[in-house]
Amino acid sequence: MHSRDEDSASQSNSFPEETHSSRRHFLSQLAALSASLTIAAPGARAASSKERSNAEASDPERPESLIDIVLKVNGQEKRLKVDSRVTLLDAVRDRLNMSGTKKGCDHGACGACTVLVDGKRVLSCLTLAVMAQGKEVTTIEGLAHGDELHPVQAAFVTCDGFQCGYCTPGQIMSAVGCIGEGHTRSDSEIREFMSGNLCRCGAYPNIVQAIKQAATQMKGAVS
Amino acid sequence: MNTAFQGLNRDRFDAKLKVTGRAKYTGDHDLANMAFGYLIQSSISRGQIRSFDLSAAQESSGVIAIFTPFNSLKLYHPLGREEGGASGEVIPLLQDTQVHYFGQTIGLIVADSFEQARDAAALIKVNYEPKAAVVTLESGMAKAYQPQSVDQQPPTWSILESGASSIDDILRQAEASIAQEYTNPIEHHNPMEPHATVAVWQEDRLTIYDATQGVRGQQRTLAAVLGIDDDQVRVICPFVGGAFGCKGSMWMHSPLTAAAARVLNRPVKTILTREQMYTTTGHRPALLQKIELGATRDGVLRAVKHEVFSSTAATKEFIEAAAHRTSRYLYKSPNILVSHHLVPLDIAPGTFMRAPGEAPGMYALESAMDELAVKLGIDPIELRIKNHAEIYPGKNVPFSSKHLLECYQRGAEKFGWAKRIPEPGMTKDGDWLIGQGMATALYPAHRAGASAKVRLQADGYVTVSSATEDLGTGMYTVLAIVGAQSLDLPYERVRAVLGDSALPPAPGAGGSQSTASVGPAVVVAADLAKKKLIEVAAKDQKSPFQGAKPEELSYISGEIRGNGKSLSFNQLLGVLGRSAIEATGSSAPGDEEHKYGFSSFGAQFCEVKVHALTSEIRVNRFSSVMDVGTVVSEKTARNQIMGGIVFGIGMALLEGTQYDARTGWIANRNIAEYLVATNADVPAIDVEFLNRPDLQFNSIGARGIGEIGITGTPAAIANAVYHATGRRVRQLPIRPEHLLA
Amino acid sequence: MRAFQFKTAASPRDAANSGTDTAFIAGGTNLIDLMKLDVVAPARLVDLGPLSFRGITVDGDGLHIGALEKMAEVAEDPRVVKEYPVISQALLKSASAQIRNMATMGGNLMQRTRCGYFRDAVSPCNKRVPGSGCPALEGENRMHAIFGVSDSCCATHPSDLAVALVALESVLKLQGPQGVREVKLEDFYLLPENTPDREHDIRQGEMITEIFVPHNAWTGRSGYLKIRDRESYEFALTSAAVALDLDGSTIRDARIAVGGVGTKPWSLPVVAEALKGKTANRDVFAVAAEHATEGARMLSQNGFKVSLVKKTIVRALSEVGGVA
Repeated sequence: MHSRDEDSASQSNSFPEETHSSRRHFLSQLAALSASLTIAAPGARAASSKERSNAEASDPERPESLIDIVLKVNGQEKRLKVDSRVTLLDAVRDRLNMSGTKKGCDHGACGACTVLVDGKRVLSCLTLAVMAQGKEVTTIEGLAHGDELHPVQAAFVTCDGFQCGYCTPGQIMSAVGCIGEGHTRSDSEIREFMSGNLCRCGAYPNIVQAIKQAATQMKGAVS
Repeated sequence: MNTAFQGLNRDRFDAKLKVTGRAKYTGDHDLANMAFGYLIQSSISRGQIRSFDLSAAQESSGVIAIFTPFNSLKLYHPLGREEGGASGEVIPLLQDTQVHYFGQTIGLIVADSFEQARDAAALIKVNYEPKAAVVTLESGMAKAYQPQSVDQQPPTWSILESGASSIDDILRQAEASIAQEYTNPIEHHNPMEPHATVAVWQEDRLTIYDATQGVRGQQRTLAAVLGIDDDQVRVICPFVGGAFGCKGSMWMHSPLTAAAARVLNRPVKTILTREQMYTTTGHRPALLQKIELGATRDGVLRAVKHEVFSSTAATKEFIEAAAHRTSRYLYKSPNILVSHHLVPLDIAPGTFMRAPGEAPGMYALESAMDELAVKLGIDPIELRIKNHAEIYPGKNVPFSSKHLLECYQRGAEKFGWAKRIPEPGMTKDGDWLIGQGMATALYPAHRAGASAKVRLQADGYVTVSSATEDLGTGMYTVLAIVGAQSLDLPYERVRAVLGDSALPPAPGAGGSQSTASVGPAVVVAADLAKKKLIEVAAKDQKSPFQGAKPEELSYISGEIRGNGKSLSFNQLLGVLGRSAIEATGSSAPGDEEHKYGFSSFGAQFCEVKVHALTSEIRVNRFSSVMDVGTVVSEKTARNQIMGGIVFGIGMALLEGTQYDARTGWIANRNIAEYLVATNADVPAIDVEFLNRPDLQFNSIGARGIGEIGITGTPAAIANAVYHATGRRVRQLPIRPEHLLA
Repeated sequence: MRAFQFKTAASPRDAANSGTDTAFIAGGTNLIDLMKLDVVAPARLVDLGPLSFRGITVDGDGLHIGALEKMAEVAEDPRVVKEYPVISQALLKSASAQIRNMATMGGNLMQRTRCGYFRDAVSPCNKRVPGSGCPALEGENRMHAIFGVSDSCCATHPSDLAVALVALESVLKLQGPQGVREVKLEDFYLLPENTPDREHDIRQGEMITEIFVPHNAWTGRSGYLKIRDRESYEFALTSAAVALDLDGSTIRDARIAVGGVGTKPWSLPVVAEALKGKTANRDVFAVAAEHATEGARMLSQNGFKVSLVKKTIVRALSEVGGVA
């Protein structure tokens, strides 16, 4: 995110520790290898950022206030306090410590954050956590049964459907969704319907093979 | 090893971790009391920062600290490469108020959560004094200059046959000649994993999780910039989510995050946004390449002249050596001239990007060769064969192991080249024009000193470790296979460990050098471990072999045998009450470097279709035959070559960073409008390896494979587009508007 | 992203009365993206999820689609696929499978431009900050419009669905504090002129509740062609939604709209007129398509779209008309 230009020359006094010493919890540090810490003198408004958050939490009209939500992730209910801005992706990664779902772009352009919501593949970076309540969320961590890999996972292993592995959780969740949608009737259909998952390492040919293999196996298993 | 090294075809070592989401990348690390860092970047290209207005940002909830040049974190000047430094920038950031390029990092904000840091950063106002900036190759040409050297060669390097006064003379007199210009835009690596750093201090010791291609280089570079000693820094990075060169240098978010963590006395995690990566972690420079080829009317080259103008940041030289790394040695010609000029621009520093130099250089050279073939009415493969170099031009040494002719022949066969109608625009499929093209693939073989440890354990497993990296390149698998083959054990008994600067030193994972550098070190370590095992077996009081002479004992497939007894190594360790026996081995290039030319080669074939009306270009099929030495890990190697080809499809048809010429602002600073290949863009790709060991290069016979896949791809595609349409496009990416009737 | 108050709409009235500085959120795929960029920063978000504007119905008049229907659902509805194929095809060529699972029909129609200057909160942009200037006119404009361009703005409208719906003369049902009204989709989108910040004929508190596509003789023989640099997951360089009413090989009537080239979906009645009564063949299509670019304004990087959009029309007509 870029800082904004200003044409006016009004901000001439720009040494923060002078102008903001009375502000809460703002640390300033000038060049010093030995890292001597100067904590701005806390005044009457010295509430730490954590304390401030708690105060806000009790005021439901404040936009920054934390909301109590319950997410059902991989069959388990998880209670969280998040502000309205938090995405399902960041809720899962940063608050639930489930780092399997990856952030590739945070703007819905790469598919790395794909999870299943009520069985459908969606982008968790464009889903607000508060809007995921009451739904079944499935992440990569919820796919295997203990040590037994899901057929899609197993197929990705044998077909080497990845290299660096960063897009892989998203590819696999998307593949599960794609197979569920019935969009695996040909190689070209798989390619098109998996194009929402970018792979910069270029493992696409193997990804297609893996999905074909898994889809065949799962169809066989079902009948 | 007694017999020639054999590669294996095995599932990737780290496969299970990756498919279950358990592989931890840098940004996945969660530490107690961790704060979140977020970069603040300039919105002007050049000038001075007058001031920051931080008032609104400071009021924003969760903000802990805002560091700017006025409230700075002390960073020192990075070490140069000759001192083992690996910094992408030369100027330590935040130490003054100068802005050198659009998107330069000018601050770091730290907050309790990512959302709070991001949102407070948006509230920061910066007051600039802007200056005019020069940001495109065309506008910067007037200031072009030659660097001091290129790959330790003069910036203009030439060989001239005796009696020739100049290469231009030869070109003028040639029976047939080609003189063309080719251009490449700036490209960005766009690995799926954004750069990230998690820094935590314990007193004056820093542990840093950092997305890097080289933990050792990162350790050294970080230490110097932070003003501490190497051994106060430990860099950990077991998984890299793609790099392609952009994680091969230290970028400033790493030391800034570490410095913030030190000052704040709590762990700090900074993850770059996709947008921020476009101006903070390097790019492939833009190029203008001029190629002139002179030949006899039978197609024998008389002269190859390749001049390159590449962009560089005004603050830091980076040379994309397109001519020195290609035309200088690929084809046999009595007269060769390669030259390089740099065009300084007010943009962020460039860096290595997959096959730096080779990728754009081969696009130009292999396009020019195709143009020559067309002009002479000679088959493109024939033309290459006629000019095949057995001896490394200039160096006058033989190539150690070069089977390029076989690549052409085998590749042509598999692709069905003989069925191709040579005339362009004659092959159709409904409304689609079909074209077939080919190009040579080329990548030098690099190797550096490395060490590895082999540890035979009481639990029956063997651990092979080295401070190398796996970027998706398959290095875990290579370590496990080399370890297994060196010890004649099943692959499943070997554990590979890498990505920690505390491990035995290895070079950065770049230049396709990891297998060739670390593999032989593993072999040495395994030999030493076997010897040690036997020594211990012979000496230790509790050993059933005690008293035997070491020569009477042998190691066979995990067992010590001798004097009518045999015991597996883990059984022996059990009897001895020892947890392990280990040895560290090292390996380095020797004087073979002066006796041979070491390079990998390939032949790449492409069929495209171009819509006759609307001119979209799509790749129908692609075929590659590669001569890369011993293939250690078949499955991962194949994937790497395919990945290089996919990268090449992007380079040929899709990629290019768009700079507003007036301001240096980047229009497509995201992964929706910066176009990389999608699944639907990639057809079936056929890859064959000749698998001829290059034992002159190292004991395993392996050369690198990470980058060669891209090198012939753009030209093969461009040549196929010409064949489909009769239109020659000499700029990348090739787009529909270049082909509209 | 500015902090915001989050509410769930209990009813359409409840949503409509949420006050100013409020955005409605349905799928969120465009809104969350823009909020993260600080391009839009509403103080309040109202989730329309519980509202009942759903359903896909076909009756004697035509096709009725609830605005909250997901793109994926509509794309694969057998009746849409068979009777209004241009809509299904436009949907399937939009975005990615994941986004189509999340995004609603109404949301897609309200989607904002991809212009890089618009999407960068610190860049001048008349659409985002009226009066600040349009850097795209002389800047990076390969993806920008040649139709409906003014001296204030040249940003391309991004929606494929909108092009298909405009071609079929679709009508929007809107509901707000002042009640219910209908607007032709083609008129719902406003030209930038010198108010590029005003994109839609929509009033405070109004939401789209339904999309109505009238059945006509040409709706069943229709298709969407999207020309792009890469095979998938990209906005259009040019696109064409075409519909033909054929009597044997004679064109009785036609409807054409093009995308990727207009500041709003660009209807081409002049091309349709030129086709009426003619025989369906390439040459006829090519002659008719020549009319398409009358009044086009080329920018520094997008001049090729003048030629490309005509070829796109010809190809689309050929494919839909079953003509070699």
